[in-house]
Amino acid sequence: MSEVPVLDESVLRELQETTGDDPDFVRDLVETYLADVPVQLEGIDGAIAASDAEALVRPAHTLKSSSVTLGALRLGDISRTLEMTGRSGTLDATTRENAAAAHTEWTSVQQALDAWLAEQTKP
Amino acid sequence: MSDGGTALVVDDSSVNRLLLVKRLRTLGLDVLQAENGAEGLAVLAANPGVIDVVLLDVIMPELDGYQTLAAMKADDAMRHIPVLVVSSVEELDSVVRCIELGATDYLTKPINPSILAARIDASLAAKRLHDLEQESLERQTALNRTIQRQKEELSRFLSPQVAALVSSPEGEQLLGGHRREITVAFCDLRGFTHFAEQSDPEEIFGVLAEYHRMMGEAITEHGGTLEHFAGDGVMIFFNDPVPQDDHVERAVRMAVTMRTRFEELESAWRHRGYELGFGVGIAVGYATLGRIGYDGRHDYGAIGNVTILASRLSSQAQAGQILLSPRAQMMIEGIIESEDIGELTLKGLTRPVQATNVVALR
Repeated sequence: MSEVPVLDESVLRELQETTGDDPDFVRDLVETYLADVPVQLEGIDGAIAASDAEALVRPAHTLKSSSVTLGALRLGDISRTLEMTGRSGTLDATTRENAAAAHTEWTSVQQALDAWLAEQTKP
Repeated sequence: MSDGGTALVVDDSSVNRLLLVKRLRTLGLDVLQAENGAEGLAVLAANPGVIDVVLLDVIMPELDGYQTLAAMKADDAMRHIPVLVVSSVEELDSVVRCIELGATDYLTKPINPSILAARIDASLAAKRLHDLEQESLERQTALNRTIQRQKEELSRFLSPQVAALVSSPEGEQLLGGHRREITVAFCDLRGFTHFAEQSDPEEIFGVLAEYHRMMGEAITEHGGTLEHFAGDGVMIFFNDPVPQDDHVERAVRMAVTMRTRFEELESAWRHRGYELGFGVGIAVGYATLGRIGYDGRHDYGAIGNVTILASRLSSQAQAGQILLSPRAQMMIEGIIESEDIGELTLKGLTRPVQATNVVALR
């Protein structure tokens, strides 16, 4: 896990390169992501609180794919694990640990993305 | 690069949707969006004929990718629209399920722009091909409808057999001219010239209309080919273009039917002061049949001594007589009661002809 970075900036760079005609696009995408993740985390917490494995799948899945898209690879990995757990149908103590890890990781991702956004606005 | 086209992105993740929409717009597509399957179906239904490709996420609230795909494939207006399933690498088994449900192809997240461009191009090409096929099908249907209408119009001017012949694959060859044994029946009215001289055109047309209707019904009932109406003269032949083994018998039975029905017309006409009688000549022989005429106006006709013989016999027939040529008489003598008329000298024929009148059918 430690080899995987919080934020793989090369993913963001590639997004910028492939949307080069619109310099603000990746910023908008990051901001959308920042607003969206809390919704998915809330969904994950709710599913675990209700011991509803099936309800865990969708928010974990969405969090995984948007995180991977933006280079938040560790959060992507954690949410992938949560999604798999949801599909397996059985929630256990590890599930709660993973959910807690997602929250912790999310704090790091926010910091990394905020730093990245600040970097972009520099002249 | 794609040129134009409209895509629908159905994905509940706003990040993925935003990125996919951006990528598709970069490729030159117009993009519509929906947050789940139910919304996607509503957008499809509200934009008939607009959407060329659908990018469909699998895991969504309300209606998931499978249900959306199944609903699209069950709808005649949507089933032809290519669907690209967007999924993560871990979901390849769900991709298989989507392909089985009718999805065109799939894309894995995060989406590689080059692969997206290739898949979109392929889908748009497939959709264009489908649209072209559809267009061509519609043109073909319209053409068929026109041909059908022309056939119906044609059948009003031609006998049904000739109308069918014109439309058949071997039609051109048959119309070009062929030789065949036929039975010709020539019918006309005694006293018609006198009646025509004394009557108003409206009366003449009225009488002819009743007469032609009666004749026409009898011709159709017996499968005769009407060559032409010429005032009171009507020429019908049998055994062409549709072969008929019993062509002589058919001609005689038709003539007897006409004679019976004519009696009803005749008595009605007599009350109005018209003195008209019905005579028929029937002959059997070889003729050349095909298209006769000139550019812009052709008839399907028969040429041969047999037609002249039938016409001359008809001229010699008294009111109520059906005169047979010797060959016609020989071919059906078993089924008729007849009387010998003796030798008739017919205009244009060097030798006199032994004629027989059909008294009744046996």
